Amino acid sequence: MDLPITSSAVSANHSYDLIDCDVHPLMQGGMPSIYPYMTDSWRRRFERKRASPAEMPMRYRHPNGSVPREDARPPNGGVAGSDPAFMIADLLDRQGVDLALLNCLTSLAIAGGQASVEESVVLASAANDYYLSEWLPRDPRFRFAMTVPSQDPLACAAEIRRIGGHKQIVAVSVPPLDILMGNRYWWPVYEAAEEAGLAIYTHVAGAASVYISGPRQGPGVPNSYTDRYLSQPLMAEAAVISLVFSGTLAKFPRLNFIFAEFGFLWLLPLLWRMDRVWRGLRHDVPWVTRSPIEYVNGQIYFGTQPLDEPANPDDLEKFLALLGGDQLLFCTDYPHWDNDMPGTTLRMLPAETQRKVFAGNAVRALRL
Amino acid sequence: MSATNPTAVQPRLVKAGVESEFPVGKMIIVELERREIGVIRLRNGELRAILNRCPHKGAPVCRGLLGGTWLPSTQPGQLEYARDGEVLVCPWHGFEFDLLTGAELYWTPPSRLRTFPVVVLDGDVLIGL
Repeated sequence: MDLPITSSAVSANHSYDLIDCDVHPLMQGGMPSIYPYMTDSWRRRFERKRASPAEMPMRYRHPNGSVPREDARPPNGGVAGSDPAFMIADLLDRQGVDLALLNCLTSLAIAGGQASVEESVVLASAANDYYLSEWLPRDPRFRFAMTVPSQDPLACAAEIRRIGGHKQIVAVSVPPLDILMGNRYWWPVYEAAEEAGLAIYTHVAGAASVYISGPRQGPGVPNSYTDRYLSQPLMAEAAVISLVFSGTLAKFPRLNFIFAEFGFLWLLPLLWRMDRVWRGLRHDVPWVTRSPIEYVNGQIYFGTQPLDEPANPDDLEKFLALLGGDQLLFCTDYPHWDNDMPGTTLRMLPAETQRKVFAGNAVRALRL
Repeated sequence: MSATNPTAVQPRLVKAGVESEFPVGKMIIVELERREIGVIRLRNGELRAILNRCPHKGAPVCRGLLGGTWLPSTQPGQLEYARDGEVLVCPWHGFEFDLLTGAELYWTPPSRLRTFPVVVLDGDVLIGL
C-alpha cells in the first residue's frame, strides 16, 4: 500500500507536558483487521488455518480473567484498547496526554515466535499498515512503535526502511526472543533503527517463559501469573547487562533503547554492580571503554510503570534522588489492569524532575 | 642520611638486596622494617618498589599477575594486547595498576599503589622508606 511519509497533522517543535510512552491499542476486529494489508494468497492461508494469537496457558492467565481493564471497554462493548475514538476520549483527552506511544502487544505476539518466520514477516507488515491507516490518522497525538518480525533480523531492517520515515513512527518494538539484546544477531535491526533515528523499544510480548523461542525470565518455570509477572524485571536486567558488555551500546552510539513495563527500581544496584565488576574485569571486554553507568545513562531509558509502592512514599523520592531522573519515561500502560495514571504517579517528585519524567526525557529518548 | 636537619622528612635508605637479585619482570617480595614490599625491574631497566597492599581492599597486590593488558578497543571482538610487563593485576578483584606510575588503569579518578623510591648504590638496591 502507499503510506504517507509525512502527515500535516503532526507538527514539530511542540513543547509537551505529558508524554505517555506505553499505550496498548488492539486490532479493532482481531486478526481479520489486518487481512486487507496482505496479499490475497497470504490472507487465504491465515483464514484456512484459522490463525489467531495464542491464548496464554492456563497458569499464566490473569487471575481476574482479563489483563485489559473491564472499566475501559469502549461503548460498543469491545475489548479495552480496541477503539481509537474511545482511547482518544478516555486516555488522551481525559488525562491530558500530549503524545501517546502506541505499542500493540498482539502485533508483537504474532510477529514474534508464535508464527513461522515467513508468516511473521507478513504479519508484522500487515499489522503496521493497519495502524498506519486506521489509527495514526485519527489523532495527531498518536505516536507509534512499529513492530518488526524479530525471527528474521534482515526482514526487521527492511521493514524499518520501508516505513520508519513516517512522522508518527518514533520507535521500533522488537518482540523479545531467547537471544540477549546485545547479541550481534540484532545488529542489522539496530543499524537500520539508528539510521532511521528510531529508538529500540522492548516490552514483554507474551512469549516469555511460555515458548521455547521466547525469552527466559529467569531460572525455572514461573508457577503462576503472579510469579511470572514478578520475574519480568529479571529479563530486563539480563538485557541491560548484555547491551553494555557486548559492546552493542558502544557500537551504536546514536541508538536509544527503551525498556517498558519492567519497572526500574532494580536499576540502581545493577549500575553499581556493573561498574564495580567492569573496574576489575575491563580487559575481558575492552570494547567497553567507559564506565557502564555512562553507557546506560546515555542510551537506555526505563518506563516508570509498574511503579513500586513502598510503605513510605518518601522512600521512592529518596531512591530517585540516588538514581537521578534522567532515564525515566512516564508510562500509563493503559488500558491494562496495572496501569499508572498521571495524576497519582510520582507527583511527590520535585517539579524539575517531574518535567523530565513526564515529558522531557521522552523528547530526548524518542527524538521528538 | 644526613643528621644535620632532624626535622626534615627524609627517606631512610634500606637495603633490599643486590642488583643481580632483581631480574627483569620478576616481582621479588622483601620484608623491610615489618613492611612487605614488592620490588620489580621493568623492561626499561628501572626498578619499582611497591607496598604489598592493594589500595582497594588490602590484598597482597604484589602477588598478582604481571603482564600487559588489552587496550580499549573500538569494536566488539577487537583485541589489542599491549604494555606487556608494565601492568600489575591484583589477585583479588582484578584491578589493574600501571607499574610505570603506580596508578590504577582506566578508572577515574584512579587509585594508586603505595610506591617507594628505589636507588642503586654500588650494586646494592636501596629502598627509601
